[in-house]
Amino acid sequence: MTTTADNNRDRVQITVDGPELNSRMVTEQVSRDFFNVTRNYRWLVAILGSVFVIGIIALILRFLDGFGVSERAQWGYYSAMFAFLLITAGSAPLVAVGLRWTKNHWRRPFSRVSELYAAVGLLTILWFLPLMALLPPLEGRRSLWVSDEFIGVPLWWDFFAVLGLVVCGLTLLVLSAIPDMAVLARHGDDGPRARLLRSISGFWRGSQSQWNYHRIGLTALGAFYFMLLIMVQTMINVDFVMSLVPGWKDSIMPAHQALTGLQTAIGLVLVTTFILRATGRYKDFIPMESFWSFSKILLALCLLWAYFWFAALITFWYGRTPTELNVLSTFMFESYRIPFLLNFFFSFLIPFLILIWNPVRKSVLGPTLAGASVLIGAFFMTIRLYVPAFGIEDVTGHTLKAVQPAILPDVLDIFIILGGLAGAALIYLLASRIFPILSIWEVKEGLLYQRVRPLLRSKFLVLGKPD
Amino acid sequence: MQEGKILGYRRINRDLLRGVFENPVKYWAIVLFLGLVVLFAVGAAGFMVNRGIGVTGLNRPVFWGFLITNFVFWIGISHAGVMLSAILRLSKAEWRRPATRAAEVLTIFSLMTAVLMPFIHTGRPWRLMYWVFPYDFSRGIWPDIRSPLVWDPSAVNTYLLSSILFVFIALVPDLAVIRDRSSGIRRIAYSVLSLGWRGTPRQWKLQAIAGILLSALILPVFVSVHSIVSWDFGMAVSVNSWHSTIFAPYFVIGAVHSGVSGVVTVMIFMRWLFGWEEYVRREHIDALGRLLIVIAIAWFYFFAMEFLFGIYGQEGDELATRSLQIFGHPWGWLFLTFIITAFFFPVPLWLFRNVRRSFLWMTITTISVNVGMWLERFIIIVPGLARKQIFTQSWYTYAPSPIEIMIVAGTFALVLMLFLLFAKVFPLIPIFDIKEGQILTDEIKVGRRRVPAVIREE
Repeated sequence: MTTTADNNRDRVQITVDGPELNSRMVTEQVSRDFFNVTRNYRWLVAILGSVFVIGIIALILRFLDGFGVSERAQWGYYSAMFAFLLITAGSAPLVAVGLRWTKNHWRRPFSRVSELYAAVGLLTILWFLPLMALLPPLEGRRSLWVSDEFIGVPLWWDFFAVLGLVVCGLTLLVLSAIPDMAVLARHGDDGPRARLLRSISGFWRGSQSQWNYHRIGLTALGAFYFMLLIMVQTMINVDFVMSLVPGWKDSIMPAHQALTGLQTAIGLVLVTTFILRATGRYKDFIPMESFWSFSKILLALCLLWAYFWFAALITFWYGRTPTELNVLSTFMFESYRIPFLLNFFFSFLIPFLILIWNPVRKSVLGPTLAGASVLIGAFFMTIRLYVPAFGIEDVTGHTLKAVQPAILPDVLDIFIILGGLAGAALIYLLASRIFPILSIWEVKEGLLYQRVRPLLRSKFLVLGKPD
Repeated sequence: MQEGKILGYRRINRDLLRGVFENPVKYWAIVLFLGLVVLFAVGAAGFMVNRGIGVTGLNRPVFWGFLITNFVFWIGISHAGVMLSAILRLSKAEWRRPATRAAEVLTIFSLMTAVLMPFIHTGRPWRLMYWVFPYDFSRGIWPDIRSPLVWDPSAVNTYLLSSILFVFIALVPDLAVIRDRSSGIRRIAYSVLSLGWRGTPRQWKLQAIAGILLSALILPVFVSVHSIVSWDFGMAVSVNSWHSTIFAPYFVIGAVHSGVSGVVTVMIFMRWLFGWEEYVRREHIDALGRLLIVIAIAWFYFFAMEFLFGIYGQEGDELATRSLQIFGHPWGWLFLTFIITAFFFPVPLWLFRNVRRSFLWMTITTISVNVGMWLERFIIIVPGLARKQIFTQSWYTYAPSPIEIMIVAGTFALVLMLFLLFAKVFPLIPIFDIKEGQILTDEIKVGRRRVPAVIREE
């Protein structure tokens, strides 16, 4: 046990070799970046906005092409894009929630980066609306809902589940950001943004009871968000993929989609944080060690991804019923072989080969590349699942009688997808002008509990564990 | 966290070697009692081998009953070792220290017990020889390597060997401590076992690297074992309710659920038996309780998926099997007991900090989990088989015979007895790990408050 004399030699650092930090530095840097709108930012918003508008035009043209249950096949890529948004941006806030539960100090710079993705939920829910008109009636086909006599199944239940997720995510974001908004409101000039911040966070005084409610609220909302997300992923996967394929019964598939969500959530946060760091912002507060810690979780999730996939494959491979063989051929080995291979390579093989090496894990670039890889992999996963499912004409019956031919994307599909991605990035960028991208209160709290202390002939990081 | 006192090395040695050097009466009384139960079980198994499996409750079409259920259960319990030890070691969780060895040892003994079950279940155990070594090369009689039933022994034996190695590597420094406090033949034995350990920096480094490498390498083995056990069932298209893609992760998470609960029960028992109040503290079972909440919820999700997809197919046979599981007699009552004891009773209680920090409540709830998890395996195996044949005179309802009950009871006694005998020869709490934990314990000052802290080496 160290003495008080040792305590006097402590330095407030978050890494052994990092600079000495204090809470004023955090506030000043975040408020400077927050209120300073750079030219690069404006350009980026303009480009993303343009691509988004092109995507909307493509979507309108797609509507004019045909819209309805019978034209479902040409909306396959659209539905895949919805699933991609839900899997990635929908799962991202879970990073903040999960790591807050584990009380890791290294999580702190990632919290807001991940929570901000809740704002993309606004696009997700809008994207979902046309899909509601594309789902065929439950009559004559299998469904998780057992009976079509329940009111509103499955569409309205799905809609309210997605809406609930979005609302919960936004509430989580606002609640988490309130202390920071209060700080920034004091640091800003009297412009419209400072006024907006004041109107949202005006009640915040930072009293003990407010902090207690804040903590309890974040924990409860986080738990709710987690359960809601898993439920939504399960419902969407079954209603928009599996139940459209006659005879396909794959109990691990919803869990696999949920797991892919966790994987991509980390990938998305890593990539975003890397970009943030690369633009020279908050480098001191986002050390390499945080990326290193994240990379271990990502490695475990990549292995789990492969495990879930193999569990499904081997069960079907051994079962060898006609439906199982046709499902394997359609979704993996024949019609959608290329998306499947890309999915497998990017979701498992490439990140695995990157992350298995500790020197690579122990870097900023290595985990980021693995993170980008899993995002690409998830994109192809949604394509190989949702596009063929939407392409099946007769959804009734209990057997998939033939291997389904592949549906290739046309120009409109490509622009819709690009528009969707640009729209998501645009919303994120705009949201970062209302909510600071670095969680000021969490980073400051971390500085209270992290010290570098000399011991014998070396220096060590000492981490406070208050509870 | 970190409610423990800073204890001197001498005190730690004395406390943790109490099991090795002292002979409390209650210890031998318990071992004797357990030994008698094991003896009865051996007698029952011998009787069964002598008379044939007709003395069990097995009959057409249910040919897997209590013994195979028990096999799956003990395989499940064995998952605690790696879950707690390897994962928590890799994630550097400080609270793992008193729990790791107990978990690893539980792995070894439960695996050994699990392996006995299919052996006894065959009714003619010597015939295993034919299976391992094909007895007639000329007729080309080989075990079917495409069958998960052949993968099973390979996976279980690999897991057993790697677990033994895992325990042994972590034991070496502690064996040297016992060696230095022994004399005569005992000293010679511990000298051999401790492999010339002197505690040099190089030896410590190698030991640490070996521990980390084994932790990482054993994880895939750990997952593979229960996955393959699940595929014993999942590959069978002919049995309703078995052919499910989620079986592998569902079995693994179920195994972790029951295994970690088993470790908590055993830790509390050992604390009581050896007076380890300073080592197995409330903060430890609190942390394990929190871990159990997460595991239990994940398990419940997989259970729900498995069950929902049984109904999802809307196939008559499968629906009838599910109906039998929930409403049939006696399965309905067993199902209700299973779901309450495995989830709805313990998990809401674990949400309360006072329960997680109570040794009594944690004992009750973790035993409850294992009652439920045993029943879960039973409900998966037997009702499915009972409705296996479409064209049948009657759907036979299995009931275990006293012989099977005695054998199953004997396995519980066997694991506990082996555990206690291990504690007589080796320390059940890793001495060096506890000492390391004490070195890494620190404090920092936050404002006017002193906050417990840990030193991070890397």
